[in-house]
Amino acid sequence: MKRKISSLLGQLFRVYVREFRVIFKDQGLLVFFILLPIAYPIIYSLIYNPELVRDVPLVIVDHDRTQLSREFVRRMDATQEVWVKGYADDMPEARRALAGRDCFAILEIPENFQKDLGRLDGADVVLYTDMTLMLRYKGFLMAATNVSQEMGAEIQKRDLQTDLPVAVSVNDPMKVQNISMGDITGGFDSFVMPGVLILILQQCIVLAIGMAGGAKREPSYITGYISFNEEPSVFMTMLGQMLSFMTIMIVPMLFLVHYVPMMFSFPMAGNTLQILAFLLPMVIGSICLGYCLQTIVLERESIFVIWVVTSLIFLFLSGLTWPRFAMPPFWQYVGDCVPATWGVEGFIRMNANGADLQQVSVEYKAMWIQAGVYFVIAYLLQRFVMRPVVRANYPLTPEQRASIEE
Amino acid sequence: MAGSKDNGRKSGLRALIKENCLRMLRRPIYWVGFLALPLFMFFFLTSLMSSGLPTRIPAAIVDRDGTSLSRGISQNLSGMQMVHITESCNSYTEARHEMQSGRIYGFFLIPENFQADLMAGRSPVITFYTNMTYYVPASLLFKTFKTTALYAKAGVAVEKIEGAGLASYNLAPLLNPIGVQTRPIHNPELNYAIYLCNSFIPGALQLMILLMTVFSLGQDIKYGRSRELLERCDGSVLVYLFTKLLPQTLLWWVVAVFMESWLFRWNGYPMNGSWGWITLSQLMFVLASQGLGLFFFCVLPNLRLGLSISALIGILSFSLAAFSFPEQSMYGALSIFSWVLPVRYNFLIYSAQALNGLDIYYARVWYAAYCVFMLLPFTMLWRLKSAMKKQVYVP
Repeated sequence: MKRKISSLLGQLFRVYVREFRVIFKDQGLLVFFILLPIAYPIIYSLIYNPELVRDVPLVIVDHDRTQLSREFVRRMDATQEVWVKGYADDMPEARRALAGRDCFAILEIPENFQKDLGRLDGADVVLYTDMTLMLRYKGFLMAATNVSQEMGAEIQKRDLQTDLPVAVSVNDPMKVQNISMGDITGGFDSFVMPGVLILILQQCIVLAIGMAGGAKREPSYITGYISFNEEPSVFMTMLGQMLSFMTIMIVPMLFLVHYVPMMFSFPMAGNTLQILAFLLPMVIGSICLGYCLQTIVLERESIFVIWVVTSLIFLFLSGLTWPRFAMPPFWQYVGDCVPATWGVEGFIRMNANGADLQQVSVEYKAMWIQAGVYFVIAYLLQRFVMRPVVRANYPLTPEQRASIEE
Repeated sequence: MAGSKDNGRKSGLRALIKENCLRMLRRPIYWVGFLALPLFMFFFLTSLMSSGLPTRIPAAIVDRDGTSLSRGISQNLSGMQMVHITESCNSYTEARHEMQSGRIYGFFLIPENFQADLMAGRSPVITFYTNMTYYVPASLLFKTFKTTALYAKAGVAVEKIEGAGLASYNLAPLLNPIGVQTRPIHNPELNYAIYLCNSFIPGALQLMILLMTVFSLGQDIKYGRSRELLERCDGSVLVYLFTKLLPQTLLWWVVAVFMESWLFRWNGYPMNGSWGWITLSQLMFVLASQGLGLFFFCVLPNLRLGLSISALIGILSFSLAAFSFPEQSMYGALSIFSWVLPVRYNFLIYSAQALNGLDIYYARVWYAAYCVFMLLPFTMLWRLKSAMKKQVYVP
């Protein structure tokens, strides 16, 4: 019994050590394990780093041309979201500007704007927006609403004090305040990137292991080295490899969940140790997912074709851009099977909202169950599909076997 | 004599094309890359958002006042279409805990002594909290919360004005003198799917075209076929590419036209321009993407590096091509990259032609940009040729 355990531990150790040698000989794997998780989040974060959409050009069609309409335009220009690019004489001219992408919205101020407001009739401004991008539309709407409410309040005050003999104050019966939680500035980078970081983590792991699987099937004269570990126990081989993958991933992972948010000032309300503990089952789940994938990756490069586009699928399934409860149930179930879905959900709440491990227990448990299920599937596939395939592809010469077992 | 040689060459070409097609048909990976994944992406993205904007977003009310007035506000809020009041919390702490646990996306807080302060003119503060970590639901909640608060405010004001004996006045314009009418052009119901699918689906197609172009070319070098193939093409890399990429182009054209029909006909996304121009755009888009993929492979004639750069550019396209975050707001050094992506022009042409139905005049530059991508690889073909002759595979 004791001998058996020590033999198993010996196998584990040999696999662990040899796997490092395999990985460091393989540039492709190193790119996925080290370069990608370090370079990619930086490029990605830089793209969105300006966070807010500021000073989007707007063209005014002012049919009123009074002091009040000019005041409205001035205040629109003063908002963060809008830049008043200029006046157009009439709608056709403004529409030409819109068509030529010189502006992305038109604000039309009706005739008698000031007069109508003066006699307590109320007046509407009309905002035509290009709908190519939602963020631009949102900015225009926000600016116009804020300006109209602000000016409206002043007009109301003036009316009540001068035109109407009312002694009561109805101007400010109560205040309304909004507080944004989590991503407190409402910036786009701070909203989307923390989730994307987790997706990058999962995808790097799966891509690397998938590629390693491709290499197992290819003869060594193509890959230039013997790319597999083959100890008698499949279980120990898998465990040893998993441990070596995790050892290699420690630095990139710390970089992803701690240093990238620090560099780009993303929300960082969580406890890093708890976050790492939270992500452990996701890493295991992703590794096992990669093991399962190895059965269909017939050559190293196939992994690009099969797996790269799934990043997009997982991004949407995670509910980062489109809330999960608004998806058809079928896609919710599919999302449940992806480790990153739970990882993203829990991580952004820990990172941005300061949730602790206990508050993300649903996600945490789900990921452990997932890791267990994927491990069992992965073991079966490795044992009954991959091992025979590798053996058949690789009739080892005694010298090669000796070099593996050295 | 010359004629028979010509004939021989022609039949040789035909045989080569046939051979290339068979090679692709035999391997499942090509079926996956050319058909299964692109078609899955088309279906997936459109079906994901098929049920329209999310409604009934889980939220909570913290009513610290408990008076008839605060209960009235709570009832108003519960009646709004966008929210689903799932929790009734007793304190801010409790509500925040619910938010951290992900059970609600925001909450509405009515403070203690709300009614009393209001009547006494002490201006109480209603606060609503939205979890901006979740952008879309939080934005929608924000809108609903704000509307509810403003209604409540207006209700109080009306009561006071009426109390002063001014009921005969038309009060609506007094309470909200300046209204904003929005005219979201050609997407009046603010359908997210229209804006998202029309950019992300061509983006996915571009990614697959880049990957498959590089993959198929790299296979010949990897498996040591390229030298022989080049010889059979009389040493002309152009002829080789013709036999290799023509069948792929035809297949991609079918996929792209299917994509167009899927988006604009079967899903009914706005199509206000001319079908002819939009179809031309898709066909040229395929060629431009193939051109870019070919260019990558010419510059880096190594299967893995070529695929890596294609994957990197293909995935970054979704951000760089400014589908959600406008390029004018990006840093200058990054926004220039948005102009070197075929899918960017596909998106601009979609916006001008399909969404806004503008004259073709406004899209003329973008069609020309496609041509640049098609011509791009011709500057680098010599590298491909020498790589094919060397026929070295680097793992």
